[in-house]
Amino acid sequence: MPAAGTILAMGGGGFTMEPENPALDEFVLTLAERREPRVLFLPTASGDAAAQVGAFHAAFGDRPCVTSVLSIFRLGEDGGGPLRERLASQDIIYVGGGSMRSMLAIWREYGLDHLLEEAWRAGVVLAGLSAGAMCWFRGGVTCSTGCPEPAAGLGLLPYSFSVHADGDRSRLPVYEAAVRERRLPSGWAADDGAALLFRGTRLERVVSSRPRARAVHVRRTEDGDLERTELVPDLLTALPRLQRAVTGDVLEFRRLRSWRESG
Amino acid sequence: MERLPQILALGGGGFSMEPDNPLLDDYALSLTGRSRPRVCFLPTASGDADHYIVRFYRNFATRGADVSHLSLFRRDKGPGAVEGDPHAHLLAQDLIYVGGGSVISLLGTLRAHGLDLVLEEAWSRGVVICGLSAGSLCWFEEAVTAFHGAPQRVRGLGLLPFSNCVHYDGEPSRREEYRAFVRQGMRSGYGCDDGAALHFIGRELAHVVSSRPRAGACRVELSAGEIVESSLGSRFLGSTLELAA
Repeated sequence: MPAAGTILAMGGGGFTMEPENPALDEFVLTLAERREPRVLFLPTASGDAAAQVGAFHAAFGDRPCVTSVLSIFRLGEDGGGPLRERLASQDIIYVGGGSMRSMLAIWREYGLDHLLEEAWRAGVVLAGLSAGAMCWFRGGVTCSTGCPEPAAGLGLLPYSFSVHADGDRSRLPVYEAAVRERRLPSGWAADDGAALLFRGTRLERVVSSRPRARAVHVRRTEDGDLERTELVPDLLTALPRLQRAVTGDVLEFRRLRSWRESG
Repeated sequence: MERLPQILALGGGGFSMEPDNPLLDDYALSLTGRSRPRVCFLPTASGDADHYIVRFYRNFATRGADVSHLSLFRRDKGPGAVEGDPHAHLLAQDLIYVGGGSVISLLGTLRAHGLDLVLEEAWSRGVVICGLSAGSLCWFEEAVTAFHGAPQRVRGLGLLPFSNCVHYDGEPSRREEYRAFVRQGMRSGYGCDDGAALHFIGRELAHVVSSRPRAGACRVELSAGEIVESSLGSRFLGSTLELAA
């Protein structure tokens, strides 16, 4: 089966962590092959926290994209239709941070684990930070229960991924020990602001929103040592605010179009 | 002193649904037998909604309880938040209060964190368990949820070998669906109104209590192919004098 999907795994950053720096979020929008991509935000890992949903609207509401939010805790209230169609009709699915353990448990209850894999294989871009980044890999290091510990993800990417390497220094030693002890496969640890872009299961590019953010590849050698290779990301720059806002006439046109489509 | 396992399963009510009526929450506190009980709130079924946690503290902190809450979605810090070992914390409580919301998300999250086993252990050691709606359904072997629209069957943690349907008087369609499920083979159990609570000691229903004079509960079972619904008398926890006043 061809793995054709695109995944952007952020070590941290984006609108929930650095709302004043939209470089990574703008990069996410360029990954879809549509001028105004449909972007669905999935805040499950935070328990669908109102603050995250509000931050999503604040960050993407005035950008050239069509936004929606899938709140599993409010299913049935939002009249959003069947989950499979909602996910499959997106160009980008953006997954927020929080507890990876709780998020994956809830996804499995509702079959979202399979639906997200389907969407990925069908070409929907999957993007996310923290729990929303580690979940695509075979495993990562979660702090869901307080102390950092290795935890399994969905395994779309046959590697491991550890987040907040610079922002939360308790994770990296746990991550490296887990790779050394083969509890996690080889993979990457990424700083806040650093992001890995995968096409299929191949790492294509490393980007960042912060000049000093890094990612490091961590591999267990034949004789049980750790081999660390630092990757220097391409620094992204955000568009000046004036260039990115959608003008009033475009917003009016969009409203007219969505009214026509719904009618 | 050995404490008996107790579950107070509210059909609806308590601080989140009837904020001006403390009768059911007072009853839950009284079951601990402590003058200053340790009470931990589990807001998991709501996704740890901030407003829900705030309302818990507003109601319980003023009643002389040692209050805390356990978040399974965020690493909350500060007063009340459980920062250490959640398992040890839960076992050290006198009362664990489980809030409402989505029972499917609640069960999945509890199991993922291993709390299904911890809660069972806490219950068997005599920590009083209280919950409403999703927080009531989850203790039973089977339950009816309508949180996401059409009523559906859910398998619960199974501490109580019955089925349960909450908000029994609130939504007529639930009653119909519940009876249909029992007819189709769901195990027999209880329908419980808003403002009423089933008090189990061990696995036996010991009392039905209520915060509203007309709220109650009934037993629903299949007998010779027919659904039999028998009303259970409930004890109103308030005084009738207050009602008259």
